[in-house]
Amino acid sequence: MANRFGIDIGGTFTDFVYYDDGTGEITVAKVPTTPSAPEQGCLNAVEIALTPEQVAGTEWFLHGTTVGLNALLQRRGAVVGLLATEGFRDVLELRRGDRVEMYNLFWTPPPPLVPRHLRLPVRGRIRTDGEIHRPIALEDVRVAAETFRREGVTSVAIAFLNAYANPEHELAAEQALREAGFNGAITLSHKVSGEYREYERTTTSVIDAFVSERMSTYLNRLQGELRDRGFGGSPLIMRSGSGAMTFDEACTRSFETIMSGPVAGAEGAGELSRRLGLGDLVTADVGGTSFDTCLIANGRPQLMFEGEVIGLPVQTPWVDVRSIGSGGGSIAHIDVGGLLSVGPQSAGAEPGPACYGRGGIEPTMTDAACVLGMLGSGELASGLVLDRALASTALQRVGDRLSLDVEGTARGIMALSAAAMANAIREITIEQGVDPRTLKLLAFGGAGPLMGCLLADELEIPTVVVPPHAGNFSAWGLLAADLTRTKARTRIMRLDEDAIPQVNLLLDGMFGELEARDGTATELEASLDIRLVGQDNSLNIAVPLDQGRLTASTDQLTGWFADSYERTFGLRPDEAMEIVSVRVTSRTPLPQRQHIPLAREDADTGPEKTLPAYSFRLKRTTEFAIRNRDDLPVGEPVSGPAIITEPTTTTYVDAGWTITVDAAACLILTTDEAQS
Amino acid sequence: MTSNIHTYQAAPSRTRPGQTVDPITTEIIRHSLNSAANQMKRALIRTAYSPVIYDVYDFAAAIYDSELRLLAQAPSLPLFMGTLNFCIEAAVEAVGGIERLGPGDILLYNVPFGTGSHPQDATMVMPVFLEDGTLAGYTAIKAHWLDLGAKEPYCTDTVDVFQEGTIFPGVKLFSAGEIVDDIFRMVLANTRLPKAAAGDIKAQAIGCRVGAEALARVVARFGKPLFDRSVEHMFDHGERVVRSYFETIPDGRYVARGNMDNNGVDTQSIPFEIIVEVSGSDVTVDYSDCPGSQRGPINCPLPTTVSASLIAISMLAGANESPCDGHFRPLKVVTRVDSLFHAVSPSPCFLYAWPAMQAIDVIYRALSDAMPNAVPASSGGDVCALLWWGVREKTGEAWATGSPHPIGQGASAHGDGATLSHVSESATRFAPAEVWESKSPWLIERVELITDSCGAGRYRGGLGISFHFTMLEDTYVTTAVERTQLPPWGLMGGQEGHANGVRYRRAGEPMGEIFGKVTGLKLHKGDSLELLTGGGGGYGAPEERDPRAVHEDIRNGYTSEDHARRHYPHAFAA
Repeated sequence: MANRFGIDIGGTFTDFVYYDDGTGEITVAKVPTTPSAPEQGCLNAVEIALTPEQVAGTEWFLHGTTVGLNALLQRRGAVVGLLATEGFRDVLELRRGDRVEMYNLFWTPPPPLVPRHLRLPVRGRIRTDGEIHRPIALEDVRVAAETFRREGVTSVAIAFLNAYANPEHELAAEQALREAGFNGAITLSHKVSGEYREYERTTTSVIDAFVSERMSTYLNRLQGELRDRGFGGSPLIMRSGSGAMTFDEACTRSFETIMSGPVAGAEGAGELSRRLGLGDLVTADVGGTSFDTCLIANGRPQLMFEGEVIGLPVQTPWVDVRSIGSGGGSIAHIDVGGLLSVGPQSAGAEPGPACYGRGGIEPTMTDAACVLGMLGSGELASGLVLDRALASTALQRVGDRLSLDVEGTARGIMALSAAAMANAIREITIEQGVDPRTLKLLAFGGAGPLMGCLLADELEIPTVVVPPHAGNFSAWGLLAADLTRTKARTRIMRLDEDAIPQVNLLLDGMFGELEARDGTATELEASLDIRLVGQDNSLNIAVPLDQGRLTASTDQLTGWFADSYERTFGLRPDEAMEIVSVRVTSRTPLPQRQHIPLAREDADTGPEKTLPAYSFRLKRTTEFAIRNRDDLPVGEPVSGPAIITEPTTTTYVDAGWTITVDAAACLILTTDEAQS
Repeated sequence: MTSNIHTYQAAPSRTRPGQTVDPITTEIIRHSLNSAANQMKRALIRTAYSPVIYDVYDFAAAIYDSELRLLAQAPSLPLFMGTLNFCIEAAVEAVGGIERLGPGDILLYNVPFGTGSHPQDATMVMPVFLEDGTLAGYTAIKAHWLDLGAKEPYCTDTVDVFQEGTIFPGVKLFSAGEIVDDIFRMVLANTRLPKAAAGDIKAQAIGCRVGAEALARVVARFGKPLFDRSVEHMFDHGERVVRSYFETIPDGRYVARGNMDNNGVDTQSIPFEIIVEVSGSDVTVDYSDCPGSQRGPINCPLPTTVSASLIAISMLAGANESPCDGHFRPLKVVTRVDSLFHAVSPSPCFLYAWPAMQAIDVIYRALSDAMPNAVPASSGGDVCALLWWGVREKTGEAWATGSPHPIGQGASAHGDGATLSHVSESATRFAPAEVWESKSPWLIERVELITDSCGAGRYRGGLGISFHFTMLEDTYVTTAVERTQLPPWGLMGGQEGHANGVRYRRAGEPMGEIFGKVTGLKLHKGDSLELLTGGGGGYGAPEERDPRAVHEDIRNGYTSEDHARRHYPHAFAA
């Protein structure tokens, strides 16, 4: 039995999905997010969706959360002290010198997470090659310990220059700090990241020191509450770099979970692409507050090795999900120069869009869709019925200032939103050298299926896929996660015959350390960052392993790098190459799920029902068939225009699109002909 | 003399009264054009060979319409703002006009007086044609190439433009999509770093093409007539945003002075004056009273003088919006031909950016008379660039690297100044010490804020930084550092910050004197070089500073207790 449930906390809603391994049945729920105590939203969802027996019979709980992220956003974390190499205590404050809002004369970086008087210098210096240039002066650590005690520091990060090449001084400082009586948490930069770039590594270490207490408290509380409700399985949390880790490990490596929320949808998209052979995808995850997009190539989300959060770099694997502030709750307004603009402000869940009738008076994207009839009758699963009159009033307020009628304003909001989302997709794909027209669009999230056809038309994408339970797809995506651990180490060396034994030595050590974190047997993976000598940028090349050791020859490595370089830069290199960093992953898949839920074979078309809605292709209002998703027949094409309803989302199918339900219950929308 | 006076201004609005355009189509087109410029930037960064492009962002990527009006520019190097029209015009004219160009052609142009830069800032210009052969506009990318054959890889002492690099006066580098081999080989034969040049040419071409495809797609989707009407509307919108801000500046004639340390060849300093005139929502920046052309390379060609004016004004008024031609309409730039701010051939202009950077600060200084709350006090006022090269001991390989360095920013009515790159290079990132040490033969001893380097005031300036390098092998360095003599000024009673400076020490000897510019200084193994970047000026009288902030600064070591007692005695009153 491998019953499992996933809970994904979003900005507006907390999504729940339960998978019963015996029957393959999926249960979904959606509850409002409870920002002040996020675990409450989780528990609410569990209580609504599951019987106590089901909770007790669950083996895995997979979680995506914004707790770490919010701790950073609100700057509510531990009092952190930093030990730095003498001459480098200002690394955190100097950053890389860039102005994030480049046209803003008065832009000032947010204050560093550790104020200068708690950033203390320690004499001693490691060189770039790991040699000790000056021995460490441990009396500096003892002096610092006294300051930390006096100032109420509860968590210390130790980040010395070139510690990635030789951790001796960090380890010595840790010991000296303990001997001096410090008993709070200590984060060592070389354990957080084995890569060079001291600003990035120091910041990541400080982020870890800052959030770990809060994260541990939250995870322990959530786990405790679930245990009280009879949950006896293993709780796992999504990592920013895809895959999951245990709650216990997350308490000691909190920095790996900062982006666990938005990654879940990308993880699910990867799983879907692999299992259904969908090919390369780009995702359109539209929630209440934001639009997230991610490129899925070869069945995996695109991975970066550095992320960014609240303007701070995080030196850890990071799924490349891009967000813009455009979602169902995004508010339309008029800018200084008199043009219509949508977002990034959102009406959120409270008061929500005007049409929710909960006191919202500003027009949102949902109000625009409601007025245009794109949401069908407007009855939501929660029983709420959208109020079209309230939506009209809200839209009118903005439209009056543009001399536009309500419908014109609504069309404008939808078109602007679609254009902004399409631009984000263009940028993320162009960066990878991928033409979006060659991809399929995977639309999910509460408002993703509403936007699918509009986005596809903007981007000239011929196929839109709406997965089962699209409104809760991120939570479903959590269920796909493998248990993973990663490690990276910068060691610059020429790519020649001598390199292979050196890499193997590193691999032995790194896999050993991963095993020490948790001893379970696993699949091992490795990749190398390789570059041309003299260049700064490297390419990441996956390498084959046997028993954790490299099986490739120098010639093969050179060839793979050259292939990848040629694909990226259009030139085949012939000069010397060097290895910059070695990256390893250990992966323990959860037991395979039986199957992706099958569509019902006995679906029945039911009596035809239609409602008027606006067609963006026909540029006029026309009758749309209103269909329940569960009633659509498998494998029989149905022509648009149509509006497909299901409990957690609504799919808008414009005229000229055809719907086919495939065997895995995905809605496959295909355009009848290329749009001019 | 009046015939020498030159006036630059963007073309005025040509919307006829009563002409209406759908505001939503306009907004979609505006965003699509900005996204297209961003796609150019992404493609360039992804494929560029040189870190000066993908890390330092020393480039501009922009899209112009068929009448050379700026449609969109990707956020990159502000000092390259909005002036690629000069080189598009010159490059197209050089080949005999647009009728001599077809789809897939790309021109290479790096005449400093048309690009506004030194010859290393090579521009590629691509005309964009629709399927019916109509000209939709142009895409252009100007990017810094590491070397294009100047007397040294980086110079502060050239005496004419021909010592500064090889010049390509608008030549077809790509014809119908194919690289023109003759020209390509000419380029590679004229650089010390041919690999880098080859890689960056490819990247720039890819960037131009990505932008061209995106522009053609937008025009085709809406049709040329609707596109043209919407673009007029977009320009008008940009103009309204800027004018609505300019109207808040009191009318008047505001004057401020700057001072260049020297011209790189002679020793005397060069004071100059800039006049800003405001009348209603029109602003004129007048450089015509500035000194004549200089014997050394600090002459600034017109396009960069215009850019500096645009960026200074846009950062005040742009509401954080990406600029288009309309934003520039209310601004007039007046220069005198053959002067410090309007260089003509063969004046040397390798350090063209240095007077331009200072001009930005001086424009703010002038406007501070009118609206002291809207501008910051002076920053360290420079990018403090160091360029290094040598030959590695073990391998015999040639190496070169370089970087700008952050400075203390001036304080403002909004609060204390930070430590950031100069606004003219505001997106630039300097490299981490660990990266530098891994590829260059130095030990970096220190990258640390300089206590007390800030100007005192109600709000204090940002602190300067001490960068201390010790050579592990023999090395050459060019230091392009200005503002060593004119300390960053304060505003509204705020005090001066520390000026920039460089000094070095031969092994075993004491530190030498402060200086600014030197070309190809040889440092031996064991010698050290220290760059001290300037602090920002203070804002408001020091006695108005909150005593708690004074003590907090002492606690954090931003200021010493001595400094605090001297400037803020009120904070120590019993």
